[in-house]
Amino acid sequence: MTDDQLVTRRAVLGVLGALSVVAAGGGLVTGAPGTAHAQALGQNESVQDTMKRLFGDKPIKDGAAVIKLDLPLIAENGAVVPISVNVDSPMTPTNYVRHIYVVADKNRIPLITRVTLAPEAGRAFMGANVRLGETGDVRAIVEQSDGTLLLVKREVKVTVGGCGG
Amino acid sequence: MSDIGKVRLRIPSSIKPGDVVQVRSLVIHPMERVERDAQGKIVQKNYNYINKVIVTYLGKTVVTFDTTQGVAENPFFSFTFKATDPGQLKVQFLDTTGGRYEGTVEIKFS
Repeated sequence: MTDDQLVTRRAVLGVLGALSVVAAGGGLVTGAPGTAHAQALGQNESVQDTMKRLFGDKPIKDGAAVIKLDLPLIAENGAVVPISVNVDSPMTPTNYVRHIYVVADKNRIPLITRVTLAPEAGRAFMGANVRLGETGDVRAIVEQSDGTLLLVKREVKVTVGGCGG
Repeated sequence: MSDIGKVRLRIPSSIKPGDVVQVRSLVIHPMERVERDAQGKIVQKNYNYINKVIVTYLGKTVVTFDTTQGVAENPFFSFTFKATDPGQLKVQFLDTTGGRYEGTVEIKFS
């Protein structure tokens, strides 16, 4: 009787152990549970796929009148490229900029960042240091609170790429 | 490497009530980039990079950055907020290994 119980217990523990190994393996591939979203946010894909994934078939208008995309014409070092996006918006609770997306066309992971703003930000502004893999367009896409999408893009010449991956 | 997670925040020296204030933030972090093996295949592992930056002012989230590996090492972010009342501005950086680094600054009017 005792023997039987021992065997059962061992068998159960063994199965559990195997399961946890499988789970750990899966975790390595997909990342820790908390990071699943982030992995989905930036993927290895072409910029067309990124745009389609983020915005579907929604029309994107030219935003040159309201968006000021500030980044160098020539980036000597692609590993650190300062970029800033300034959008002309009243930032009132009824009319504000909800998201600013920064996308680099030639990066293997095109989506660099998505900024979520609240009206309390006062101004639709973001600045960051980004990596650029090679010479190509950099786009800034602005999503306003009413769902309107606006886009501006500028080419940046990159002397030394900074993405590696 | 022991400096990972060191956060620096810079605000203007004088702030008046109602000003839209630009804040510059910097965190020391490696922001690991995607590695490839000799065949050009992506090495599957949990890359350590910051994937979220949350800015809260007076307990309310003002700005959130969702970032990927396209952001440079030792990332620098700047953003604005409208200073309405004196209080705490907090910037939290979250990375893919569960690390959480934060910096706070007291907003005072002068």
